[in-house]
Amino acid sequence: MKSEIKKVPVGCPHDCGGSCLLIAHVEDGVVKRITTDESLPDAPGVAQLRACLKGRAYRQRLYHPDRLKYPLKRAGERGSGKFERISWDEALDTVAENMLAIREKHGATAILNMSHSGTMLCAYHGKGCIYRLLNMFGGQTMLHSIVSNEGGVFAALQTYGAVFTTSEREDLLNSKMIIIWGWNPTDSVWGTNTSYYLALAREKGARIVAVDPRYTDSAATFAQQWIPIRPGADTAMLIAMAYVIIEENLYDKKFLDRYTIGFDKFREYVMGQEDDVPKTPQWASEITGVPAGTIVELARAYATTKPAALSVGHGPGRTNHGEQFHRAAMTLCAMTGNVGRSGGDTGIAIFGYPIQMKVMNFPAGGSPENASVHFNKWADAIIEGRAGGYPSDIKMVYSVAGNTVNQLGNVRKADRALKTLEFMVAHDHFLTATARYADIVFPATTHFERSDVMTPWCFGHYIIYSDKAIEPYGECRNDIDICADLAKRLGIAGYNDTSEEEWLKYLTSAAEIADWDEFKQRGFLKYELDKPHIAFREQIEDIENSPFSTPSGKIEIYSQSIADMQKPDVPPIPKYVAPQKAETPDPQFPLNLITGHSKKSCNSMFYNLPWVHEAEKQEIWINSVDAGARGIKNGDMVKVTSGVGATILPARVTERIIPGTVNIDQGMQFQLNAEGIDTVGCANAVCPDVHTSVDVTPYNSTRVQVEKMA
Amino acid sequence: MQLAFYFDQTRCTGCHTCVVACKDWHDLPAELVNWRRVTTHEEGTFPNVKVNHISLSCCHCAQPACAEACPEDAIYKRDADGVVLIDAERCTGCRVCEDACPYGAIQFRPDDGSKAEKCTFCADRLEGGEAPICVASCPMRALDFGPVESMRAKPEVAAYVAHVPDSAQTTGWIFIRPK
Repeated sequence: MKSEIKKVPVGCPHDCGGSCLLIAHVEDGVVKRITTDESLPDAPGVAQLRACLKGRAYRQRLYHPDRLKYPLKRAGERGSGKFERISWDEALDTVAENMLAIREKHGATAILNMSHSGTMLCAYHGKGCIYRLLNMFGGQTMLHSIVSNEGGVFAALQTYGAVFTTSEREDLLNSKMIIIWGWNPTDSVWGTNTSYYLALAREKGARIVAVDPRYTDSAATFAQQWIPIRPGADTAMLIAMAYVIIEENLYDKKFLDRYTIGFDKFREYVMGQEDDVPKTPQWASEITGVPAGTIVELARAYATTKPAALSVGHGPGRTNHGEQFHRAAMTLCAMTGNVGRSGGDTGIAIFGYPIQMKVMNFPAGGSPENASVHFNKWADAIIEGRAGGYPSDIKMVYSVAGNTVNQLGNVRKADRALKTLEFMVAHDHFLTATARYADIVFPATTHFERSDVMTPWCFGHYIIYSDKAIEPYGECRNDIDICADLAKRLGIAGYNDTSEEEWLKYLTSAAEIADWDEFKQRGFLKYELDKPHIAFREQIEDIENSPFSTPSGKIEIYSQSIADMQKPDVPPIPKYVAPQKAETPDPQFPLNLITGHSKKSCNSMFYNLPWVHEAEKQEIWINSVDAGARGIKNGDMVKVTSGVGATILPARVTERIIPGTVNIDQGMQFQLNAEGIDTVGCANAVCPDVHTSVDVTPYNSTRVQVEKMA
Repeated sequence: MQLAFYFDQTRCTGCHTCVVACKDWHDLPAELVNWRRVTTHEEGTFPNVKVNHISLSCCHCAQPACAEACPEDAIYKRDADGVVLIDAERCTGCRVCEDACPYGAIQFRPDDGSKAEKCTFCADRLEGGEAPICVASCPMRALDFGPVESMRAKPEVAAYVAHVPDSAQTTGWIFIRPK
């Protein structure tokens, strides 16, 4: 007799910005197939939450031969990847003993919490469990700043006084013109259905222009025009567009008067009254590589087509002075009166429809005096400690659902730093580049093996109920249960005395779920809004009663707060800041590396799945001009070297990237050879562990050389 | 009635979700067999470059060259909806069909005794009133299927599409809106 197939709705909780519906077809306790949202109607606003290739390949992740099944204890040199199986009791006892000893000897901030975004979108299970445990334990060293978009966050807070800067994606259908600037959602996702809405917008007649160093799949699919630009030069082009708009009197004076402050100072800078350098299209052309006429045409079109969305990605902000890119983009959005209006945009996407606010995070468990170091300096902080000016002496690392060791710059330093630790713990599904360095590795369940509630980053007004579809794989346990068992051993009471279901109901108590059972059974709840969510709509409709949360209550083109910071490299009006001495291209490293996101991975996840791996291979994109000068042919293995390290990967010789620039997709898990050279194309083998004065991580300003392997 | 596929090339981002969904539903291994294939074609010189993606499976031709070539009569066209299927009992794995198919749709695994396999139009899903898995999976809604007449009637369907065999020659039931 054929056994029954049970269809269980499961979400997808990773860090791409979307959260899609996966339906697990379970037979005899095994996932046999995965389908997606096929609910009707499939219309804008309630569009099906169709998963991408990575979600569809999830079966290969659940049952991967490398999936961790048992607790492991390190059995070789740290980082060697040699482990032996141990019991849960031995693993938990060992971790608890070491935590107690380290707290006793060095204090709780000697523990660095390196957990991160592996299960980003889960409300209950995920990195919150260890944050709570360590807070209850007495503290920890945290990692601060957002590697993805710290420049955008800084700019949004200074300019708008808020990070809720994104309208719902459906509103793209109301744009007459969309400039996708350094934004590649076909690969980086940025919300379920974002690419679908871009296609619908174009079909509705929107003019779409892509400004990007690469002819990405987003540019190729959505844009009628591609404007290739040198990385790090974006701000110069935006400012030259402002020049054209000012000179031709195309700006929205009423909007600027009513909703902004500081435009006059910006105009003086742009027109050259401040420094005798008019920021003309010719001026920008030399910096950007974009013909002056192209800049003029785009500026005119953007200023005269209403409404128009200047929709920017995070990549251009991950450069030296990346916050200026967002500040300049925001200023253009305001100059054209496109902020707070349907079909417009704000020059930054961070948070959007406050759906996340309806679902709470797992409670923090108190607020001891935690120390904090910049994300991109974690390895340096371990090596240098208090003597090097850091706030703590780190002796232990705890990582849950994170791969920080791989996903931040300078992996060679990471390797060096981890070898100095007294102790390290990781929870994961695989022996990631991070878990490889741990003394104890706990095998964790995936979201198929437990229940949770998920929300997308912000693009979409829905929440997902992700039901437990199968029993835990091998001896895997939930991250929270592992922490709860540690809590007992650490003498911490009240860590988790409620059931999973009760927690989920509590965490969603503000989410207006009328029928819990129906929510569970369908797997999602799509909210119908009275009117589309437009960021800053309230401020623009009624500025008197709903001012912006800035000191002036307006959009701050000039920011006194920035002026008060007295940072010479961060001007109070948006400016193109020419490369400083330390940033001047070293002739040894003539190429500019950018590190995009790709379809084949969500950060460092998924590339190990054969179905995903065959879809897109890891390669360095190099223009035929640069390849020809180096004798590199398509498919050749090349070595990429920077000031901090080197990586080896195949070359893809292509016309789809501006000469002088190369791209390595971020996310490959490094493998260092005996010379300390990565052999699998890990971008962070060459990206440095630095940040700017406002905490921007400038990976896309990395300078490299590329040479053909002998 | 004859079923046909529709492919909107203007929407395809080359994401391979259709391929992975097909492999998951039909439990196909990576690398070895591809019932549906996505290819990417780059043309031109920087900065005047064009990129097109194509997603193709078996096109369930009106007069399938594979069936005509098969010495064992193992490949047949279903009366009800024109879906082309392979009778595994009859297939001897001689691979004559592989060369005959203009779309490269017929696949063999590398092991000895491997028999011909290809897209079945998700006959099992059709039976339950569901769309083929590739169509239901596409995040861009770039794929569709239905009776020939309704697919032919879609806007901007072209007779000839670069890098796709000419259906006037192949008799394949694929309608493409080209980029």
